[in-house]
Amino acid sequence: MLPKFEYYSPTSLSEALDLLEKYGEDAKIIAGGTDLLVSMRDRILKPKCLIDIKKIPELRRIEYKEGVGLTIGAAVTFKDILEYPNLEKKYRVLWEAVKTIGDMILRNRATLVGNICNASPAADSAPALLILDARARIINKNDGVREVPLERFFIGVKKTILKPTEIVKEVFVPEPPANCYGKYVKVMRVQSEDLAVVGVAGLAYRDRGDLIIRLAYSSVAPTPIRVKEVEEVFKKKNMSLDEKIEEAVKISSEKVSPISDVRGSAEYRLNIVKVATRRLLKELVEAV
Amino acid sequence: MSRRKIRFKINGVEKTVEVEPNKTLLWLIREELKLKGTKKACERGDCGLCTVLLNGEPVKSCLVLAVEVDGSDILTVEGLAKNGELAPIQRAFIEHGATQCGFCTPAFLIVGHWLINRNPNPSREEVVEAINGLLCRCTGYKPIIDAILEAAKYMRRT
Amino acid sequence: MFVNHEGGHYLEALKYVGKSITRIDAVEKVLGIAEYASDIELPRMLYAKLLLSPYAHAKIISINYEKALRVPGVVSVAVGDDFPFRVGLYVNDRNILARKKVRWVGEPVAAVVAEDLEAAEEAVELIEVEYEPLPAVLDVREALKPGAPLVHEELGEYAHSPAFNPIAGTNIANRFTLKKGNIVEGFNKSEVVVENEFYMPQVSHVQMETHVCIGHYMADGNIKIWTSAQSPFTVRYILSHSIGVPLHRISVYVPYVGGGFGGKAGINFEPLVVLLSKKAGYRPVKLELTREEHFLAAPLRQGFYAKIKTGVTKDGKIMAEKIFYAFDAGAYADYGVNVARAAGYSCTGPYYVPNIEAESLAVYTNHQWGTAFRGFGHFEFLWAIERQMEIVASKLGIDPVEFRLKNALLPGLTTATGEVLREDAGRVDQCIEAVAKELRWGEPTPTNDPKKVRAKGIAALWKAPAMPPNAASSAIIKFNEDGTVLLSVGVTEIGQGTVTSLAQIAAEELGVPIEKIRVVPFRHTDLTPYSWQTVASRNLFMEGRAVIRAARDAKEQILEIASQVLRAPKDDLIIKDEKVWVKGRPEWSLHLKDIVAGYVYPNGNTIGGPIIGRGYFVGTRLSYLDPETGQGYPALKWTFGAQGVEIELDLETGEVKVLKLVSAFDVGKAINPMLVIGQIIGGGIQSLSLGMWEQYVYDDKGRMLNPNLTDYKIARAGDIPEEIIPIIIENPQSDGPYGARGVAELSMLSVPAAIANAIFHATGVNINDLPLTYENIWKALNKKR
Repeated sequence: MLPKFEYYSPTSLSEALDLLEKYGEDAKIIAGGTDLLVSMRDRILKPKCLIDIKKIPELRRIEYKEGVGLTIGAAVTFKDILEYPNLEKKYRVLWEAVKTIGDMILRNRATLVGNICNASPAADSAPALLILDARARIINKNDGVREVPLERFFIGVKKTILKPTEIVKEVFVPEPPANCYGKYVKVMRVQSEDLAVVGVAGLAYRDRGDLIIRLAYSSVAPTPIRVKEVEEVFKKKNMSLDEKIEEAVKISSEKVSPISDVRGSAEYRLNIVKVATRRLLKELVEAV
Repeated sequence: MSRRKIRFKINGVEKTVEVEPNKTLLWLIREELKLKGTKKACERGDCGLCTVLLNGEPVKSCLVLAVEVDGSDILTVEGLAKNGELAPIQRAFIEHGATQCGFCTPAFLIVGHWLINRNPNPSREEVVEAINGLLCRCTGYKPIIDAILEAAKYMRRT
Repeated sequence: MFVNHEGGHYLEALKYVGKSITRIDAVEKVLGIAEYASDIELPRMLYAKLLLSPYAHAKIISINYEKALRVPGVVSVAVGDDFPFRVGLYVNDRNILARKKVRWVGEPVAAVVAEDLEAAEEAVELIEVEYEPLPAVLDVREALKPGAPLVHEELGEYAHSPAFNPIAGTNIANRFTLKKGNIVEGFNKSEVVVENEFYMPQVSHVQMETHVCIGHYMADGNIKIWTSAQSPFTVRYILSHSIGVPLHRISVYVPYVGGGFGGKAGINFEPLVVLLSKKAGYRPVKLELTREEHFLAAPLRQGFYAKIKTGVTKDGKIMAEKIFYAFDAGAYADYGVNVARAAGYSCTGPYYVPNIEAESLAVYTNHQWGTAFRGFGHFEFLWAIERQMEIVASKLGIDPVEFRLKNALLPGLTTATGEVLREDAGRVDQCIEAVAKELRWGEPTPTNDPKKVRAKGIAALWKAPAMPPNAASSAIIKFNEDGTVLLSVGVTEIGQGTVTSLAQIAAEELGVPIEKIRVVPFRHTDLTPYSWQTVASRNLFMEGRAVIRAARDAKEQILEIASQVLRAPKDDLIIKDEKVWVKGRPEWSLHLKDIVAGYVYPNGNTIGGPIIGRGYFVGTRLSYLDPETGQGYPALKWTFGAQGVEIELDLETGEVKVLKLVSAFDVGKAINPMLVIGQIIGGGIQSLSLGMWEQYVYDDKGRMLNPNLTDYKIARAGDIPEEIIPIIIENPQSDGPYGARGVAELSMLSVPAAIANAIFHATGVNINDLPLTYENIWKALNKKR
């Protein structure tokens, strides 16, 4: 049984923010509930009140504006994202990542913003968002909206910069580079569905002929991380492509800090980081 | 903890119930409405045996609060057969030996029913994707996949 | 020509037996109206919640539940000393709630009973327990070392079945030994000797329905139980034995069971709810385990360690085998002692070995207690034996299929217990050959990707029911006044569908259409007839024979009456198509419905009465085993089989995809081929899942780290092989019903070995420990480099 709590389902953002201001740390936002309710059942979280944001119309909004970018509201589900027209093509790496989260039924309820606010190191949507330069738009009652790049949003295992009276109103993903190729690789313990043992998102494109690579990982550090140092490697002049790939693999394996847990040992994760990175990079460089 | 009044439709029947916020939809279905077809087997969203259709979409009812279904339309396994006549998905399960202990059967029926009604020609991969969130320990899944594909075929013919 | 169960021939084709009739409980189940124990609600029912031990081994210093009692709605709190009884299937070692000390992380220490579940949950959190941790023994080999902490200091005082030998002063719950031939001579005759060690961890049944039971100790002293269990008569018997209430005052009701797999085969939480019911004022008490509690407090499969030394001639004949099996039985012996015994007497696998020395132990540790699990020691030891066979074949340079066929245990040869395999015992060679053929054994399997490799692997298997010689089944056939039939049997419906096959047999025997036969859908020890247990792949065989006898008994009674009315001798009458008629004279007939409730003459004279046919079955001339040499006749029947896989292995990550899974079993006769195939596929996937992903992961304090379905991974739809091919082989067994044997456990036995054998062929790397996770495979591949 879940612990006892008060339940509110405000129909406007200002109503929700008022409630947050009143309850502060004693409140939790519920959107999909697929992480929150499990934590509450396990008694890890015992909020005195839940604020359901699913009835707030502006938070259910998902919109892509050509040349500008994609806005994903806090209550937008993974299903909404997967079914949004052209998103599979335009934001392939994000689309692929979202497709691997949980299972189809869970994706009918779970939200992208919920996924990043839960801030598990294994959050599958995060590496893709990081390499797409996504930003979180955070709002509270008094200060209005502020934009925070996602790499500053995650600060530790299941910790974000959010204050108790704030919520993420939406995530904004800018227009991706022209003709880019993106892919998300999720290594699991099984063939079907699982949390990531290692997740790696890659993006490649050409900027006036120069090959640009972006890489980010989940499950190998306290937070999802983008390894910018790898991106420098591909800008170097006197190395062959194969040499660059090997150098990138080496750097990535040094920048990640996987732990041993019930899903995999640090040693195995490190091996997977190397193998998956190498394979992904080979695919990326060939694609653009 | 204040109780809330919720109004919803379940298997075509209107219901009004007062419920506490910390009760899940699964609790509402099994304990309040006494519809025992939907099962409780993990309460964490892992096994999917609590799956019902909520406003036409499959959801794991152990992770939905009862208070959230105010104004909603719910379908459980008890709502699949109409006037004593089995739904195509139910007939297919029988023909293909897709039920053994039967505990997971309601959830697979709900998802299978949903799939064949929105996708008249699902591929094997699409069936697997739809049911990957549901666990079965008895059948090895193959008879279930075969049954869903067969039911889809029947839907296409009629 | 067709062969019937007596080896005789009949001219007509069978009408029901051998047909893939849809299961008789399918409609109920697809409508969602099939009743399971958790659905049952009783007036004034209370809810129980358990407090589990956080320590693997600790003295209980004090328990304070004052605060718990004050929670509104709480009726009672119980601790171990409130119930000074012990239960045990073979060794009386288990406390109802922990007494004096706790023996594993998760052992129930206290129970709260309340008007609703929420109150019970709240109250459990308020119970304060003081523990004094003790050194724990968390490894089966450590538990055997002299000076190891004792899990049961009082082992010598426990009552136990004479078939088992707990050794006081040690952690050995049972020691089984077997000697055949002359082991020294055997190794002398061997030109190559190979010795290896093997291991598998504890795993869970992961039934979809967790343990749930309701107990009602009535104020008049009678006891009622409703439970999700496989063996209601065992529940009744052990409870009676433990608390001293005679059998006729205990009633156990079992509805449909949402998966058993052996985990619900014995007696689990029923004594607790019954005693809680008494303590809580003679009100019914329901206990339903959450999934986490099911992982932590319910019994699981014993862990396993093996050491096998095999001696062979250079041309591939096995001469000798020295075998050591140790089962990590956990905190309480339960079925573990019999698992060790069964693994002991089957220890060689389906091969002829002339000289054997075997020792098989059930060992106490501070792990969760082990119980029965599909395969009963055979899943465990076949992992070891089938890996060993592969390694030996490779050392000899002989093809592993050829090596197995060369040593196959065929009719006429003796088993490890000295039993000469009967002519109609079944053919393991045909099973191996069928699998090899389907896999295209010997044909190469190239891939385009240099980082991946494909290979094939095969493993054979066998099992007989591990049951006492007096295990019995019975059946009752009751005719209703309209000529329809109620068939009542003891086997519980846990998903395997045996009752459908039994209805088919009844229809065949009675000449009544199967639509007019209903199998009573529940088990009730007062109302449905006795069956020892629903385990061991024994029920189709034993209940089947009982049903045939019950049908014959009913027909005898019908003919007795019909003979008078039709004025014809009984051997001139036949029963067919719901009628009795004089042979050759269909115009001189009676409808069954005019007989089965008594026949009424036109003037009102009535003869006969309600027809109730009954039959029972016990195995013929089964025997105990010699306490030292293990020689004897334990086996009702042996089912043989083989399983094979084709895999694709990623050499850089250890990821294995099973592309094809082939299984063949000599089932004697498939009474219902669709149900047999259902068992073959379902068991095969369960076997694959157990072998590849499943394990209890513990920390160094014995705490289980993955008590949920996120991190205890079982196969999902996306994990099954693209191709799954079941093969039914039918060499009928003359004393089986219509020649049938049994297959339910067999399909579970050898997939992990087949996969590991394939990995060995692909890479030359031997992996001898389960599970075959991608990481473990990668580690093994890397160690070689």
